[in-house]
Amino acid sequence: MGFSRHYFSVALRALLRNRAQAALAVLGVCIGVGALVTSLALGRGAQEAIADQLLAAGANMIVVTAGNYQAGRSHDYTAPADHASLLHQSGHYYVANLRRQGPALSSALFNPADNFLFRPVHFENDPMAVHDHPTAKERLGDTMAGLGAAATLTIEDARAIRDSIPGVHLVVSGVHENARLTVENAPKQRWLTRMHGTEEQLPEVRPGWSLPYGRFFNRNEVDDSAQVLVLGRVAAERLFGAGVDPVGETVLLWNQPFEVVGVVDSRSWASTPAVGDDQFDAFYVPVTTVHQLLNLSMLNTITVTTRAIEGTSQVADQIQTLLRDRHGITESMPDDFTVKSQAEQVLGKGLSPDIARIVSGNLARVDDLTVAQLSGSLQRTNRTMLALLAGVAAVSLLVGGIGVMNLLLLSVTQRTREIGLRMALGARPNAIATQFLIESLLLSLCGGVLGALLGLISASSLEGVLQWSTVVSPLSTVLAIGVAALLGIAAGVYPATKASRLDPIGALHHE
Amino acid sequence: MPVISLQNLKKSYALGDNTVHALRGVSLDIEEGEFVAITGPSGSGKSTMMHILGCLDRPTEGHYLLGGEDVSNLSRDALADIRNRQIGFVFQGFNLLPRTTAVENVEVPLLYSRPLLPAAERRQRALEALDSLGLSQRADHHPSQLSGGQQQRVAIARALVNKPSLILADEPTGNLDTKTSIEVMRLLQNLRESLGITIVLITHEPEIAAYGTRIIAVRDGEIVSDVANTPTPMEHVEEDQEQSEPALAAANA
Repeated sequence: MGFSRHYFSVALRALLRNRAQAALAVLGVCIGVGALVTSLALGRGAQEAIADQLLAAGANMIVVTAGNYQAGRSHDYTAPADHASLLHQSGHYYVANLRRQGPALSSALFNPADNFLFRPVHFENDPMAVHDHPTAKERLGDTMAGLGAAATLTIEDARAIRDSIPGVHLVVSGVHENARLTVENAPKQRWLTRMHGTEEQLPEVRPGWSLPYGRFFNRNEVDDSAQVLVLGRVAAERLFGAGVDPVGETVLLWNQPFEVVGVVDSRSWASTPAVGDDQFDAFYVPVTTVHQLLNLSMLNTITVTTRAIEGTSQVADQIQTLLRDRHGITESMPDDFTVKSQAEQVLGKGLSPDIARIVSGNLARVDDLTVAQLSGSLQRTNRTMLALLAGVAAVSLLVGGIGVMNLLLLSVTQRTREIGLRMALGARPNAIATQFLIESLLLSLCGGVLGALLGLISASSLEGVLQWSTVVSPLSTVLAIGVAALLGIAAGVYPATKASRLDPIGALHHE
Repeated sequence: MPVISLQNLKKSYALGDNTVHALRGVSLDIEEGEFVAITGPSGSGKSTMMHILGCLDRPTEGHYLLGGEDVSNLSRDALADIRNRQIGFVFQGFNLLPRTTAVENVEVPLLYSRPLLPAAERRQRALEALDSLGLSQRADHHPSQLSGGQQQRVAIARALVNKPSLILADEPTGNLDTKTSIEVMRLLQNLRESLGITIVLITHEPEIAAYGTRIIAVRDGEIVSDVANTPTPMEHVEEDQEQSEPALAAANA
């Protein structure tokens, strides 16, 4: 429309008249919109990163942990004496469930391996057993060799889970212990860290991993109990220094030489490897190697992933039933293991412990939760940061708006005569107001477009320099420019009204 | 029917605790095609009269009929429309928009007309108005590139562009030298004669008032004299001879 073209050319001319002030007003809006776009990008980035994390690492993972510590369980709880430990003439140890219905104990004793009354236990794990052999400590000559935790899970349990429960995707056995690594021939390069005895499929369970150097160990190495080792990034840096490729080096664990075959690192912004980190201030060896060296068969954890997120709690229930059965646990006894779906743990990490307890307490069934709801819960922690950013954006937008208003008031004063003239020539008050609103809109839209660009640049540099996850959606850019337009109108209303209410005579004679 | 009919028009302002009576009951009829010069010393009320005649202000009492329509109590919007359609203003200080070409200045009243003309037609009419005042060569010049007389001619073109029934000229020669003043006054006389347009001129200079067909003297808010006048005849202006000089030179060569 020709009319609005005229308005725009007049507005442009008026703005060019106060170039420096207009540039500053545009800058103000630009900073405000830039802050808005950046905070939207960060918010969206955090949201997507959380969703990714949940999808990738969280929701379909179940971790079965040996032992069953429950907060608040009565301290004076005593387990009834319903199990007996027996040494069979064959040299194998068995634990008998005395409460179980079945054939007479005496007859079962003679053929324990075939009887459901008994389950075999490894002799080193039997508290009743009398050791007449050197312990791992003595054999390996390392005071740290040995498993301290109550290890009630076995590789057989892991296999049973894999083979008998439908919907299970991956099953990874785990033995976890603190251990000291020493670089061979450099006794001062040592690091006390977390040992994970595990299997070759662990990297598939942890999609948040990257392998900056080398590879993870393979099935053959697990089968052969090979003395190979994959370092977490933090452990690798502590032993060999940052940026050094340790692949091919030899480190000593329990005085035994292990070849370093790879280094794992986090590809996620959410978990930057740090000292004390369970995944990256750590190292990984085949679980079979740990078992062989320590002469053990027990596991601390069995990590299970399901094929579908929806089946997670069903599978968790089946695992619980299976393990209770395999471990011969009677109804009155608590589990000697803990089945926990990762979703609960992920939830717990993002929130303060109290809130996490409330949230996970309300999550009777993980199935009931969609990933969106999970990420919604996690977002609460991001909300504080985002509120802060949004606050910064709001304040800068406000300041930008004040700048625009200031320039317009200056413009109204400078152009009082022109306003009077236009009124004399037949401009209605509304036409005068429109003129100034368009001037304000033009100014703020310039700021908005530049601000959107600024936001894109700052978001991408935040991502590049600080590794923060940002997502700039076209919608948020349009939204930010829209906000700038609204801001322009809001800032323009007062000056425009002021201009339109001028008395034509007074305005015409204004100097 | 008179173009302008003022009936016992009064205007008073509150100035602090005092009330200033700028107009104390003015009655006046102006017929179509008249060239009325309103004179009076400053403070006589002639400017107030001009503002009310131009629909820039409203009377406190009395009636103002413009083209038979009582415009004394119209809204701001309605007054704006009347100014736009029926009145062409020529100001002492030209009041052209700076950094705006002559043709764009002339177009301004058309931008506020209802219904709005298409851009091409607005430009066309503005160019025609400039052309009728001999300024077609200057259409794309900015006011700063024009002489005082040219600027006032652009302003007159602007006053004419919407084909008003009335031209209000407020001290149109106040900023011009004598020679240019005569040019502008002759131009106004021409407009009256060729277009039959009614002109109301406000001035304090008797020589300028002498171009009118009727001279009204105002003092202390009242009309003190209202006489018919034989307008100053249209003389030859030296400029015409200057302009013909190159032609003569060419003829002599």
